[in-house]
Amino acid sequence: MNPVDFYNETLTSVPTEHGFYPYESNGGTALAIAGEDFCVVASDTRQSNGYLINARYAPKAFKMSEKAVLANSVFAADGNALVRRLTQRIQWYKHSHEKEISITALAQLVSNTLYYKRFFPFYTQVLLGGIDESGAGVVYSFDPVGSYGLEVCRANGTASALIQPFLDNQVEFKNVQFDDKPRMTLDRAICIAKDAFTSATERDIYTGDHLEIFIIKQDGITIESYPLKKD
Amino acid sequence: MDAFVNRFKGSSTFLADEISMLDGFGSYDAVKEFSQPVFEIPAVQNANCTDEKSDSECRIKIEHGTTTLAFKFQGGIIVAVDSRASAGNYIASQTVKKVIEINPYLLGTMAGGAADCQFWQRELGRHCRLYELRNKERISVAAASKLLANMVYPYKRMGISMGTMVTGWDKTGPNLFYVDSDGSRYKNDVFSVGSGATFAYGVLDSGLDYELSTNDAIELGRRSIYQATYRDAASGGSVRIYHVEKEGWKFIGLYDVGKLHWEYCGL
Amino acid sequence: MDHHFPLNESPITYTQNPVVTGTSVIALKYRDGVMLAADNLASYGSLARFKDVERLYAVGDFTVIGASGDISDFQYTKHLLDAEMVKEYYINDGHVLGAPHIYEYLSRVMYHRRSQINPLWNSYVVGGYHNGEGFLGYVDLKGTTYKSSSIATGFGAYFAQPILRKIVEGHENTLSEEEAIDAVDKCMRVLFYRDARSLNKFQRAKITAQGVEITQPYSLDTEWSFGDSKIN
Repeated sequence: MNPVDFYNETLTSVPTEHGFYPYESNGGTALAIAGEDFCVVASDTRQSNGYLINARYAPKAFKMSEKAVLANSVFAADGNALVRRLTQRIQWYKHSHEKEISITALAQLVSNTLYYKRFFPFYTQVLLGGIDESGAGVVYSFDPVGSYGLEVCRANGTASALIQPFLDNQVEFKNVQFDDKPRMTLDRAICIAKDAFTSATERDIYTGDHLEIFIIKQDGITIESYPLKKD
Repeated sequence: MDAFVNRFKGSSTFLADEISMLDGFGSYDAVKEFSQPVFEIPAVQNANCTDEKSDSECRIKIEHGTTTLAFKFQGGIIVAVDSRASAGNYIASQTVKKVIEINPYLLGTMAGGAADCQFWQRELGRHCRLYELRNKERISVAAASKLLANMVYPYKRMGISMGTMVTGWDKTGPNLFYVDSDGSRYKNDVFSVGSGATFAYGVLDSGLDYELSTNDAIELGRRSIYQATYRDAASGGSVRIYHVEKEGWKFIGLYDVGKLHWEYCGL
Repeated sequence: MDHHFPLNESPITYTQNPVVTGTSVIALKYRDGVMLAADNLASYGSLARFKDVERLYAVGDFTVIGASGDISDFQYTKHLLDAEMVKEYYINDGHVLGAPHIYEYLSRVMYHRRSQINPLWNSYVVGGYHNGEGFLGYVDLKGTTYKSSSIATGFGAYFAQPILRKIVEGHENTLSEEEAIDAVDKCMRVLFYRDARSLNKFQRAKITAQGVEITQPYSLDTEWSFGDSKIN
């Protein structure tokens, strides 16, 4: 066989992978709960690809300012690229306005940043939790192309369909038949977040390994870490 | 004032590079900031990657499914919408704000891609404000709706999905326009848009009368949306109602369809 | 409106597929730093085309990158990283790019290329020693990145990673060099047994406070007569 034929035959007959799909799903879950004067943002740290666990500690929640935390899920590379872009824009804002960006402005910035890639989207679901100008806890949630809204509580990611109904019931007291509706305290929010994740870990293969909880209060942000099941 | 307008008007002569963004955010133009795909790949170039019907493993889901309506009557315009957002089979939210407050005199409604409606109606709000500063008077609803139609038209067939009603009160009185991402723009006395529109029209058309009292008109809008949420799986949540009057729009209320169901059962 | 959109232009199409390829790279952290291993085979489809290809490459004094996937893209990446090291050296401010910096740079290149839909068809492992501790990171053709105490690409993700995790997880600071070598050999042997596109000729790299050491190619003893010996 002459070399050209060999080349063509081999290249065309070998079942090679062709076509490139620029996205992948890396799994993971994030939730946020807004309180009167605090906000809790929690996310697991597992990164997966199909049935493989890439890493047990690959955080997807990041502190964006002294009063805002952003958590993203789905495609980790896009999520990280988004966070880097935002971090730079937040820095520019700080230098040109000589103040830290408010969460209201940050939410609009996130929305625009996502929408500017409307025709080649960041494949990520974004949660933004923090404290607003009046000191109240707020949660914003975004779709991959930037539609957003203010919310009380929100679960995103692979276990969102497992956790969101639980949050609706325990935080917003949806479908609660009795009148005993306790006030949302920080302790209660943390308990709910922990329960949501330990339960989601039992039923969602993409959620597990570690839980990171960001607590955003007027006087700053603290991070708590808890182990989750690693199976 | 001219200097002020110039600073924020946005220019088409600069390229969308970092320099212009650093430039005090002066010559800001949202359109310039778009990153365009410079390659052809089916999943990315067209609507497929954001279309929930395309059968790809990593498809990007954006929120769809809606019932919205607006109609003219002797007291102005009633705007009523549902509040559900679904992504595939999943109800992504029951608390979406599908009425977008463009400014104190203009309302837009949201059907189709949530982000598309939000982004372009915010951009419309900015243009309307610039119009006010330039011309020292408020923009007409006709002009505003045409501004929106013209803004999205260049993106036709690129996957943007937007079905919106632009309403407001200008010097010609109450006005109601329908604008969508295909480039259509219609003027009429009654519109309903979204997956549940047919159901809403059924109730709306049978009860519509220009001489309706304000309370009866509000009730008609509410009942129409309720019936649509009852029959259309992709609509639900709460009914949100606005009333457009001479003095601008007024928020009437938010009504959980779960509660409305029992109210209407009793009738 | 004077904006123009790609709809009016003839579209540019990129994206190849891997041609000459390398298989798994495995890596782990241990007490003294990081260890990597990869075989010396470059396959052309199912043909074992080149048997003397080095897939572990030292970048600077304290970093090694291991490559699986397309070999020509790997060669391009080597040039890219070398150019970057020279550029940094030329500035002459005493600053040297360490493993985290090289990893960050490589990640950005990989993500940028995937965003152009013109990827470098590789999975890279970046191992190094920086600021008194080991560094181990992964980046692939989609720009996906993660850091972990053990990493394996390709088939290795299925065969070697479970073995490595069992040995390494929780013992990163106690594992000795001998134990690390044993772990690597165990993994490479399994991979040679089960991966049809592998070769019993490997190289191992270690990166410690003393710098980079990459071994000469070596082989492992294998046993193929299980059936006979077990049954009889």
